[in-house]
Amino acid sequence: MRFTKAIVPITLCILLVSLAAPAQKRKGRAAKPRKPVAVVSPIDTEALKGLLTQQRERPLLVNFWATFCDPCREEFPDLVKIDKDFRPHALEFVTVSLDDFSEIKTSVPQFLDSMNARMPAYLLNVSDPEPAINLVDRRWQGDLPATFLFNEKGEVVYKHIGRVNPTELRAAIEKVVSRKGDGQ
Amino acid sequence: MKARNLSILLASLFVIAGAIFAAGARAAGEVPAPPAIGSTIEDFTLPDVDNKDRSLKSLAGKNGTVLLFIAVQCPVSNAYNERMAKLAEDYKAKGIAVVGINSNVAEDAAAVKAHAAEHKFAFTILKDPGNKIADRFGASVTPEAYFIDANNKLLYHGRIDNSRNAEQVETSDLRNALDAALGGKTIEKPEAKAFGCTIKRA
Repeated sequence: MRFTKAIVPITLCILLVSLAAPAQKRKGRAAKPRKPVAVVSPIDTEALKGLLTQQRERPLLVNFWATFCDPCREEFPDLVKIDKDFRPHALEFVTVSLDDFSEIKTSVPQFLDSMNARMPAYLLNVSDPEPAINLVDRRWQGDLPATFLFNEKGEVVYKHIGRVNPTELRAAIEKVVSRKGDGQ
Repeated sequence: MKARNLSILLASLFVIAGAIFAAGARAAGEVPAPPAIGSTIEDFTLPDVDNKDRSLKSLAGKNGTVLLFIAVQCPVSNAYNERMAKLAEDYKAKGIAVVGINSNVAEDAAAVKAHAAEHKFAFTILKDPGNKIADRFGASVTPEAYFIDANNKLLYHGRIDNSRNAEQVETSDLRNALDAALGGKTIEKPEAKAFGCTIKRA
């Protein structure tokens, strides 16, 4: 009898705890910020040089940007559309962020996620950005955004400093992509 | 008659070509080229954060002036706040004045004044309505520095140093230029690319 009296409150306690535990878990999950899906890789000047100058089978579009740059954020939806439209037609597109390295797992991938951007993403991890800027284009002052289109030989065939004009950029890409299609 | 028609046609083509070129240059949104190193900088007047007109001449140090294009909201410019305040303090005693210029259209004088007070800037900051002075200097980002000597010659243009992270500074280009000028030596690197936030022009 004594045993039966004791088992009722114990069972009730176990039931209450088991019901409360998942609620606690759910609460904990909701409070935790979502991990960004986009992966941003660090890139130094040497690796950037390799990326830009190597011979490749496809033309390469590179957009230099940063989360603190208003025109960069404004032009991003156009760039995402361009990536979606031209990736199946032999265009490689990478983005290089010039944000601080501390933001490689936070604001940079979060922004890329918000844009639904799926192009390979890098963050320039250098203490001095000048050699990297000069490597891309000696006349470029490092102001953002900056967009460069390289042909298969690694030569710059189009560049634009400032917010891109999507029509102009698409025309430049079509020229390079169609050239390949023409068998040249 | 034919020759006259031909000359009218050529003149029209020239005008159309000129218009297309000008429109193209504007459409590209390119910042005017900066003055060459060694060129003479003409005096200018801009309002300070209290809307009082101040000329470059009235603010110049006896050994020269550093013009710093800066911003309120730019994280790169803000990473330099302490370094800019220290620069002004260090070189004031050496006769070089530091003058800040805010050319961002979205940052008004009240915001610039509050930001300067918050970061204890002891140097004058000017507002540049219509970014006329940023255009004259070909300034494109913040922070971007220009050093003009006592004879109004541009001796240095570019970054303050190599890194926005104070712990990673290896080359203090602006300080090196100022020290060389003060010591009567040649500035080894009179230009270094400034990196920062694009100036929001009107």
